[in-house]
Amino acid sequence: MVEPLVSVRNIKKYFDVGVGMLKAVDGISFDIYPGETFGLVGESGCGKSTAGRTIIRLYEPTHGEVIFNGRNIYQLSRQEMREVRKDFQMIFQDPHASLNPRMTVEEIISEPMEIHKVYKSSKERRNRVMELLNLVGLNEEHALRFPHEFSGGQRQRVGIARALALNPKFIVCDEPISALDVSIQAQVVNLLKKLQDELGLTYLFIAHDLSMVRYISDRVGVMYLGHMMEVAKSEELYQNPIHPYTKALLSAIPIPDPKIQRNRQRIELEGDVPSPINPPNSCRFVDRCPYATDVCRKSTPKLEEIKEGHFVACHRAREF
Amino acid sequence: MERLLEVKDLAVSFQTYYGEVEAVRGISFHVNKGETVAIVGESGCGKSVTANSIMQLLPMPPAFYKRGQILFEGEDIVKKSEKEMQRIRGNKISMIFQDPMTSLNPTMKVGKQIVEGLKKHQKLSSSQAEKKAIEMLELVAVPQPEKRIKQYPHEFSGGMRQRVMIALAMVSNPRLLIADEPTTALDVTVQAQILDLMKEIQEKLGTSIILITHDLGVVADMCDRVIVMYAGKILEEGTVDEIFENPKHPYTRKLLGSVPRLDMDRSETLFSIKGTPPDLYKPPKGCPFFDRCDKAMVICKDHMPGKASHSKSHYSSCWLNHPMAKKDAEGSEE
Repeated sequence: MVEPLVSVRNIKKYFDVGVGMLKAVDGISFDIYPGETFGLVGESGCGKSTAGRTIIRLYEPTHGEVIFNGRNIYQLSRQEMREVRKDFQMIFQDPHASLNPRMTVEEIISEPMEIHKVYKSSKERRNRVMELLNLVGLNEEHALRFPHEFSGGQRQRVGIARALALNPKFIVCDEPISALDVSIQAQVVNLLKKLQDELGLTYLFIAHDLSMVRYISDRVGVMYLGHMMEVAKSEELYQNPIHPYTKALLSAIPIPDPKIQRNRQRIELEGDVPSPINPPNSCRFVDRCPYATDVCRKSTPKLEEIKEGHFVACHRAREF
Repeated sequence: MERLLEVKDLAVSFQTYYGEVEAVRGISFHVNKGETVAIVGESGCGKSVTANSIMQLLPMPPAFYKRGQILFEGEDIVKKSEKEMQRIRGNKISMIFQDPMTSLNPTMKVGKQIVEGLKKHQKLSSSQAEKKAIEMLELVAVPQPEKRIKQYPHEFSGGMRQRVMIALAMVSNPRLLIADEPTTALDVTVQAQILDLMKEIQEKLGTSIILITHDLGVVADMCDRVIVMYAGKILEEGTVDEIFENPKHPYTRKLLGSVPRLDMDRSETLFSIKGTPPDLYKPPKGCPFFDRCDKAMVICKDHMPGKASHSKSHYSSCWLNHPMAKKDAEGSEE
């Protein structure tokens, strides 16, 4: 049995918004194994980005623990945290906003190495920058340029090179391709896959594009209003979704093939995602669920293993 | 089929400090009554400029019509004055935009925004207009319309706001609705609701729709015909079935191959198109896809291919499809 690289245990992140507690992430648990890609999907406001940030402690968690390489990182001191941080990095959604416009590409990529003092001389550091640029499909000429001189796809490559600078084990990719054009998305996804094979990286891939998540992930978790609704292997989840929300979500994605699309039955969901401020103690999906019963209104279902490796949080999961 | 809109050799440029940007470079297409035509392409391909020029919504200057005609019900829009356009906009041609938050007035109650258009185009009294506004919100399935018209846009969710936008666009029963990425800012479940709503309204009112999008799934779901744009040119056009099943242009093929599909095998590799689209300050003389095409030939560099016809509705602009070309582009799939 392989030990998970990252074990997320009942993490919660609440924000005090004055009128109440915004429960962005409300107790989610899952494991990420070394070398795999775990996809986290959900609609806007479901807490997937907050979850990503809380897991690597960019946000101070409200509750829970994250075991990384056998240590609970939420209990580490600032000093210890600094050391551990080298092992996990993040790639952000907006390549325009996440690169400092006044720094050259070389400065951007070498900054993490300077902070962590991994190389003694600036020459070594520069060599490493060039190596990284080549790795992500850019070249030496690009080192002295500024972010605005690059296209969106190239900028995302710079962001990836920076994330790789410290040889991390685990990378949180927060919507890394949603700001890019279709043809460029494929370039970046293929690059991420290649790097994973070459460097043995583990990804947490957060996105709202379910077809892309299915393509890149080994296992996928579906979030809704701060809760994890379903976790399963990628194929299993897309072929045999159990939770009514996952089913509706999958049926809502139009397939780029007119013949198939015309004959598909869509599961219509009424209404919008409710507010995450002071949510009631019921299943989060109850108001939009066509199968809701009294039990669903009274208590929150736990995430349970229905089939091997297929977890569902639904009171009626065994009936479906 | 009766033609509602016919665009002939339209070219639109922007005069900037650095020189002229040729955003749209001579495109021709038509829209029939009651059909939905998609314009697909990546950012910067000129799809939104095309849409805005049909409405004369581009700021002029810096934008200007370089050449061509936009015939709407037989009349040329390019030649219309601002005053004449005001009678067409929101009346015969309407538009919905990507971001419903920035296209609604945040300081005005939703009902008033709908009433405003009604009073202008249909000369209704205030009470009649209000009644009609409530009807319109009912049409787009906004619950409790009597209460909702007294609220401000920020009190609506994204999907509800887009419904209001559609209600606004449909008040005077336009012949043509231009939808510029109407669901890009929405979640998939809400997107499905909005697309269904648009289809339903189209069936009821017989409106023609131009749908601008980069989401090929939405195209397959909604449209009758597809126009593929790239760097200000139309590279291929055809019915949805022709485009999705038998794409003739290498760009269309690559574009279709670069989107992962829910029903595809995970071990299949995703096509990626190398490089980026050309700069339209100095647009290439020949085929704009030349740099990124694996099948490029010498002739592609300097000469733009003409339109080759594959059926009555299916055209592509690629030298591989020229009658003199050795073999059809289909033959050599990678």
